[in-house]
Amino acid sequence: MPLRRHSGPPRPAILRSLAALGAAALLLAGCAAGPAATTATPASGGTLTYATGFGEPTCLDPHVGGNMPQALVGTNFVESLFSQDADGTIVPWLATSGTPSADGLSWDIALRDDVTFTDGTPFDAAAVKANVEHMQDPATASSTAILALGKVTEVQVVDPTTARFVLSEPDSALLESLAQTWLAMESPTALQRTQEENCESPVGTGPFVVSSWTKQDNITLVRNDDYNSPPAGSAHEGPAYLDEIVWRFIPDSATRFAALQSGQVDVIDEMQPDNVVAAESSDQLDVLTGALPGASIRLELNAGYAPFDDEKVRKAFIASADVNPGIESLFFGTVDRSYSVLSSGTPFGASYPDDFAIDPDRANQLLDEAGWTGRDADGYRTKDGQRLTVDFPISTNQSIPAEQSLFEQIQATTKEVGFDVELHPLDLSSWYAALGAWDFGVTSAIYTKNSPDVLRILYHSSNIIPAPSGYHPNNAHVSIPELDADLTEAGQTTDADQREALYADAQKILSDGAYVLPLYDHLQKIGYGPRVQGLSLLPTLQIPTFYDAWVQQ
Amino acid sequence: MRLVGAVFVLWAAATLTFFGLRLIPGDPAQAILGGPGSQASAEALAQVRAEYGLDQPIGVQYVAQLGRLATGDLGTSYSLKSPVADIIGSQIGGTLLLAALALLVAWVIALGLAVWSTRGGRVAAAVGSTLEIVAAAVPHFWLATVLVLIFSTALRWFPAVSTAGPEGLVLPVLTLALPLAGFLGQVMRESVLNALEAPFTLSARARGESETGVRWRHVLRHGALPGVALSGWAFGWLISGAVVVETVFARPGLGRTLLNAVQLRDVPLVVGVVLVVALGYVLMTLATDAATRLVDPRARFS
Repeated sequence: MPLRRHSGPPRPAILRSLAALGAAALLLAGCAAGPAATTATPASGGTLTYATGFGEPTCLDPHVGGNMPQALVGTNFVESLFSQDADGTIVPWLATSGTPSADGLSWDIALRDDVTFTDGTPFDAAAVKANVEHMQDPATASSTAILALGKVTEVQVVDPTTARFVLSEPDSALLESLAQTWLAMESPTALQRTQEENCESPVGTGPFVVSSWTKQDNITLVRNDDYNSPPAGSAHEGPAYLDEIVWRFIPDSATRFAALQSGQVDVIDEMQPDNVVAAESSDQLDVLTGALPGASIRLELNAGYAPFDDEKVRKAFIASADVNPGIESLFFGTVDRSYSVLSSGTPFGASYPDDFAIDPDRANQLLDEAGWTGRDADGYRTKDGQRLTVDFPISTNQSIPAEQSLFEQIQATTKEVGFDVELHPLDLSSWYAALGAWDFGVTSAIYTKNSPDVLRILYHSSNIIPAPSGYHPNNAHVSIPELDADLTEAGQTTDADQREALYADAQKILSDGAYVLPLYDHLQKIGYGPRVQGLSLLPTLQIPTFYDAWVQQ
Repeated sequence: MRLVGAVFVLWAAATLTFFGLRLIPGDPAQAILGGPGSQASAEALAQVRAEYGLDQPIGVQYVAQLGRLATGDLGTSYSLKSPVADIIGSQIGGTLLLAALALLVAWVIALGLAVWSTRGGRVAAAVGSTLEIVAAAVPHFWLATVLVLIFSTALRWFPAVSTAGPEGLVLPVLTLALPLAGFLGQVMRESVLNALEAPFTLSARARGESETGVRWRHVLRHGALPGVALSGWAFGWLISGAVVVETVFARPGLGRTLLNAVQLRDVPLVVGVVLVVALGYVLMTLATDAATRLVDPRARFS
C-alpha cells in the first residue's frame, strides 16, 4: 500500500484554519479601530495553558503502560510512523509508505531520511528497530503497544530508510497500530537511559520538547525550533507557533470549566455535557468534538455466567433497557444514540437499530419462557427462589456523572419487567478486580483503538481467559466459532471489500446474540478560550494537536 | 511514656493502612499499568508483580515494609517511581501552609463571632449560632464549588485553580476555614457565655474593669480553652479536608498525593503520607497540651 504525501481532498484541519482565518479577517474588517492584538495570520510566540481532566501520567514515555493521559501529552513531543485522516485512511508521517509482501507476512516501511530526534540522534531504520524492541521488552511494562505489536516477531534493518516488519501472521491493522501515540518513535540514545529518566523526559521528534515536569502540578513543553516533520494534512510547515505549553492537571470538572471561563487556562478536555452546552452558547468559548475510535460506549452482558448465559434473558434485558430518553435528557443533546458496537470514528461500523427496540411485553414473555416466572415481595422476578439480580460494577474513573445517571435509568426501566440491577460505583482498581473475577452481570468498559480490529480484541473467544492476569477484554464472554473465524480473517486480509463484509457479518452475529447494548459514541470534548486559534484534533485518536495552534497576544 | 505512645500511634497507623489497602479489592499491579484506555497483558502484570514484590505472601510484604520503615526508609512509590520521602518533602509545604492559614483564619472568625454574638443581645446570639451551625455542616466539596462560582466565574476576584501567588490561596483557605470556624465558634461561644456568668468576671467588673477589658483579658482566655484543645483535632480534620480542597482547586499537596496513591493502591506512598500525618497529629497534640498550660494556669499544677 504505497502512500503519497498530501493525497486526497483538503483536510478538515486546513478547512478549520481557513475558516478561522476568514473569521479573523472579518473581525478585523468589521472594527477598523479594534485592538491591534487581533491578527489575521498565525503569530509565533506566547504560552498556552492546557488543563486536563484525564489525570497525570505516571510516566511520560507512552511505551510504558500506555493510556490516554500519556497519549494526550505525548502527541506534543513524540511522533508516529503514520497518521490517519478524517476518514481513517493511513497517511504518511515519519514513514513515507508501507508495502506488504505478497504473503502478507512482512511489511517494508519506507522512512523519511531528514528527521532528527531532539537529542541529535538521527531517525532511521535502526531507531525503528530499537523502538519496537523497547516496546516488546517485558522490562518496559508496556500494555498497549505490546498488544498492538502482537503479530510482529522482529524488525529488520534493510537499509537506513527501510525497516522490515516480520510478522507471525498477516496483520491488516499494522499501519493503524503504528499510527497510535503509544507506538511513537523515541530516540534510541535516550531509551538507553534508566526507565526513571526516560519517564521524566522522553526524547522524540515532535514539535515540542519536555522541559520540566513538576509532579501534581504541571508539565512544561517548549518549542522544538528544528522541527521539520509534521504529519500529512497539517496547515503549515516548520516549527510550531507557540513558545511554550503549560500542561496542568485539574481533576475537578467544575473547576476546570471555571478556569477556562475566567481565562486562567486556554484549553480544557473532558468537558461535561452541561459545560459543552454553556460553552457553545457563549461567544467567548468554543468546543471541538470528535468520536474516539474503537468501541462505542456500550453495555456488555456477561454471557459466561447466570443469568445472562441465557440468550432469552439477554434479549429481555435489551428489550426493556430504555436508553433513548436518558440520552436525550441527561446529555443535553451533546451525544447521539448509537446502535453500533464500533464508534462512528471507526471504519466498517454497522448499525442494527431494530435489534434494540424497546418492547416490555416481549421482555416479559422472554423471561417467562426462560423460567424466571416467580415474583418476590419487591416485584423482582425469581427462579427456584433466586432473584433475577444483575451486578453492574461502574468505573467512576471512566463513567461521567451523566452516564452514571443513564445507568440508573436503565436500572429503573429494566426493573419494570423484573430485573434487579445493582449498581456498584467503584474506583479503577476495584473495578478491574470485579471484571477480572467475572463478578458482574453487565458492565461498561472503554476501549479506544483506531481500527475495526478492536472487534477481535473484544469479542474473539481467545480473549476470554488469559488466567494469570485476570485480564480479559472479552467482557461479554462471547465464544462463537463463526465469529472467531470472521474476526481472524478480517484481521489478516488487506482487501477492503472483504474486510467490510467480514466485519458486517461479525457485528450481525453480536447483535443477533444480544451480547452488547450500544449506547453512544465516546466523544473527545475539548473547550478553548478566545485567545486560541488553529486548534484541531488529530483524527487517529482524536487527540488535540498544538502544532498549528497559536495564541493572540 | 509519651514517646512510647507516639511510636505506638505510628505503628498502628502504618499497620492499619497497609492491611486496609490490601484488603480492599484491586490489584496494585493492574493499577500501576492501568488507566482509562489501556489494558495490561499477563506478561506485563507478572513483570510488575515480581519487580515490586507483590507476588510474595502478604505477611512477608508486611514484615518487609515494616522493616524498611523501622530503618527510616519510606520506600519507593509504585506510581510515581521516585522515593516516597522526596515526594512527601516536595508536597508537604503547600499542605502545611494551607492548613496553618486555614486554622488561623478559622480562629479569627470564630473568636470574632463568639465575642460579637455574646455581646449583641438575643438577635446576635441567634444569628451567630445559626451561622456557626450552617458553616460547620457545609461539606468542603460543595463550599469549594460555590466559592468558585461566586468569586472566580462571576466576580473574577480570585483564580479558580491554584497559582504561585497569594491570590490562589484565598478560596482554598476559606473553604477549609469556614466549616472549622463553625465548629470552633460553637464551643467557644458556649464557654464564653459560661465565663461571662462566672464569679471571676463579676469580681473583675466589681474592680471597675471596662467591658472590653473584661472580655479580652478574662472571658476570652476562658472561652479559648476548648478551642485550643480542639486545634489538635482540627489539624487531622484539616488534612482530610485538604484531600478535597487540593483536588477541587488543583493544588499540589499531600492531600491530593494521598488520593491519587489510594486510587492506584500505591501502598508505600499511602503508608508514608499516613505516617507523616500521624506524626503531625502527635506533635500537634503535644503542642496543644503545652498551649493549654500556657492559657490555663490551673493545668500547670495538675
